Amino acid sequence: MAPAATSQVLLSPAELSFLHSSLLLQPPVRPDGRAPNQFRPLVAETDILPGANGSARICFPDGTEAIVGIKAEVEKSQWRANLSEDGAHLGTGGGDVEMEEDGGKPQEEASSHGNGEMSWIELSIEIPGFRDDDPLPIFLAAMLSEGLLAGEELKDRLWINRRFHWKLYIDILLLSPPLSYPLPLLSLTTHLALLSSRIPKLKSEQDEDPLFDDDWEASLYLYPKLPTGKRIDRPPITLLVMAVGSNIIFDPSKEELAVAEAVLAVSVRESQRRENDTSGRRLNLLSIRSVDSPSRLTPSGVPNTMNTATGGSAPVSSQDAVAQRESIDQKGVWNPPRGGVKRALITRIIKLVLEPNGVAQEVMDGLNGVEV
Amino acid sequence: MPLDTSTYALSLLRLDGRRWNELRRIHAQISTQAAADGSAYLEMGNTKVICTVSGPSEGRRGQGQGGEGGKARIEVEVNLAGFAGVERKKRARGDRRIAELQHTLTQAYTSTLLTHLYPHSTILITLHILSLDGSLLAATLNAATLALIDAGIPMSNYLVACTAGSTSFEESDNADPLLDLNGQEEQELPFVTVGILGDGDKVSVLVMESRVQMSRLETMLVVAVDGCKRVREILDGVVREHGRNMVEGAVG
Repeated sequence: MAPAATSQVLLSPAELSFLHSSLLLQPPVRPDGRAPNQFRPLVAETDILPGANGSARICFPDGTEAIVGIKAEVEKSQWRANLSEDGAHLGTGGGDVEMEEDGGKPQEEASSHGNGEMSWIELSIEIPGFRDDDPLPIFLAAMLSEGLLAGEELKDRLWINRRFHWKLYIDILLLSPPLSYPLPLLSLTTHLALLSSRIPKLKSEQDEDPLFDDDWEASLYLYPKLPTGKRIDRPPITLLVMAVGSNIIFDPSKEELAVAEAVLAVSVRESQRRENDTSGRRLNLLSIRSVDSPSRLTPSGVPNTMNTATGGSAPVSSQDAVAQRESIDQKGVWNPPRGGVKRALITRIIKLVLEPNGVAQEVMDGLNGVEV
Repeated sequence: MPLDTSTYALSLLRLDGRRWNELRRIHAQISTQAAADGSAYLEMGNTKVICTVSGPSEGRRGQGQGGEGGKARIEVEVNLAGFAGVERKKRARGDRRIAELQHTLTQAYTSTLLTHLYPHSTILITLHILSLDGSLLAATLNAATLALIDAGIPMSNYLVACTAGSTSFEESDNADPLLDLNGQEEQELPFVTVGILGDGDKVSVLVMESRVQMSRLETMLVVAVDGCKRVREILDGVVREHGRNMVEGAVG
């Protein structure tokens, strides 16, 4: 999926070649002077909307800005067959099954474990200048909800009782035109908004119609806090990573993306910790997606051998041109990258992200500072 | 939930504890977003609006190049966030109310901005409504004015807006005017939105969608125009403060 016009950079082949060769150096020289795993500074705030269960706003220094608002509403669950028998959750809404009285079994399954459903979380992304059904918002929404739905925890927490559940609406607004690929921005904002979301405390018991404590001070965090103030677990984050040669670069700007050889979106989550577990955190990899690099759409430079003005011979056809380009590898002439990513490179990226005190942990720690 | 007018008559306090001529808290910021040519954030009570302005620029392709007749064209996009109201609601693009709001804003700014200075170009005003609690049109107008000032687009004067209502529909003599209605009051009472240009009495926008007795309209208008003047002072303060900060930042 191409980020398409969103990250079209107007750079000449010579400029692209310069950027590419400086990113190839050891260590890479980035246009803004950052270290390869250094993120751009950002401005973030949470709990900005009184009318939402949770909300957050993040501004990146390039001017892109996103707001996420989360609303939870009580919804009637569809009754599912066989749920009480063996705990198997097929997730098929048994519309034709009659509602049975649940007197036969003792109330042993009145816990939320494993009862969450994917449809309880709805995520929508709005990007100015794009329609709802354009590929970019849909693709981004799919990538973000993929990470959220990967764990059981969030879904299970939305379970109220066997008849009711919370429906979580996550509305993501990108307030600025998408200057660079907005995935990390949206992911971080969603992360913060989820951390700040609270749902009212339940007062009713078991399968009664739900009744909630109307004291907002008593409400519970969707991602519960331990008495120490730390969270049991945290929502996933998705990071954008790109590779040039053997250099791995985090949080690429749009100029850097224009010469990327591979772009990957890596979703990471901090795994659930036990009450008395103080031995640091474990990070889980949720998903990796390769994003089609915008560099493939950049115009290529013309080497001297193919330029009649410099004594070369122009190619006869476009096929011929491609064949000739393939055979020569001249330095300083920009050639859009072709082909895929080496497995070893992907392994290195995963290692860099997941290792203790690695990039993902650094980002999580940074976001910790924002918390309410 | 009907507004308990009997309580109002006794204590002369409204649901949120204001008197009849009190504005809600107005908080505004300018230059909130670096990527836009102009941007502003405005809170009127619990109504929160973010406005960004891009342009004057060459119009989008396929829509004709900018304005006609040697004037800039003004486009307004209003986006009501799903989480803005009490219940989560997703509005379709072609929503009637939104379209009407956009039209009103476009008309208002076409006559206020000096569009003849930018022939063949487009000025795009994007409004995001984050939280909705009454006075929607007034809040969007005020936010757009601030954002346009931030973008440096010449305009003849501040276009500021405010709402005013009347305490009852009934035919009674003791109906009082109310200034700056909140969402609850707006649902119950007749109200009018007035936008004025500058600090004179030049009414530039006047929208009324509810029925009210003819005799009450005049007092409502007077109260609204008076409110607009106070809103103008507040917005003017915000702009001057921002200007002072910019100058100090540039010098020191």
